[in-house]
Amino acid sequence: MIDPLRAATQIAGAGLEAQSTRLRVVSENLANAQSTAKIPGGDPYQRKMVTFQSEFDRLIGSSSVSVTSIGGDPTPFEVEYDPGNPAADADGNVKMPNVNLVIEMADMREASRSYEANLQMVKQVRSMTTMMLDLLRNG
Amino acid sequence: MSPVHLFALAAQHANWVSVRQTAVTGNIANANTPGYSALDVEPFSAVLNDTAATMARTAAGHFEMVRDGAAGSGSAPWEVRDTGTQVALDKELMKADEINRSFALDTSILRSFHRMLMTSLRSGA
Repeated sequence: MIDPLRAATQIAGAGLEAQSTRLRVVSENLANAQSTAKIPGGDPYQRKMVTFQSEFDRLIGSSSVSVTSIGGDPTPFEVEYDPGNPAADADGNVKMPNVNLVIEMADMREASRSYEANLQMVKQVRSMTTMMLDLLRNG
Repeated sequence: MSPVHLFALAAQHANWVSVRQTAVTGNIANANTPGYSALDVEPFSAVLNDTAATMARTAAGHFEMVRDGAAGSGSAPWEVRDTGTQVALDKELMKADEINRSFALDTSILRSFHRMLMTSLRSGA
């Protein structure tokens, strides 16, 4: 087991990484909110979701976090009538991605809040280490 | 003269606080993990209760205590327990603030003890 303060920095780092992966996936979803299929009648872009998992790290003796998988959202696609679209099937229906902008925005806010909280932990560990080092300086 | 355990106790508390900081950081990192329940370290009073249970040895027939005074059970790591509740970010951040304050207290106590020792050293010269 390593020094608890160093372990805390590592855990907070893992948290920052996990939340930034989540933010990346949110922007992927937003960028592809209108991406239809290449072939007529095909499936459009499927919304991606991030899953976190807590993992016990023996070296640091505490539980860290990691992104286990980036899976697809099984929500059915929305169908729009748009015969002019290259992705339209024989009846003129186009499947649109199952990306909901409001949900993505809410997810983005949550990711950014959690990122801030993790960053706060890094700052605090640094201030605690500084306090300890100040003992040497003018103890 | 019996040994003064001021430094030992303050250092032990600082160590306990750092372990707690690790637990809180783990909770915050796992704030969005499904099925994760918050961890916390056993309270420091438990460590203190364990520490204070030593008696003076005034006669040869008395049992000898291996540990003395505030030295406690040494560097045994504190037990990190599962609280069984979900992580609430605001609660964890408040805990983190409390940790920061008590760590600041520990380091100032250490500094003032050190100053006391230095004063007595200088006046003796």
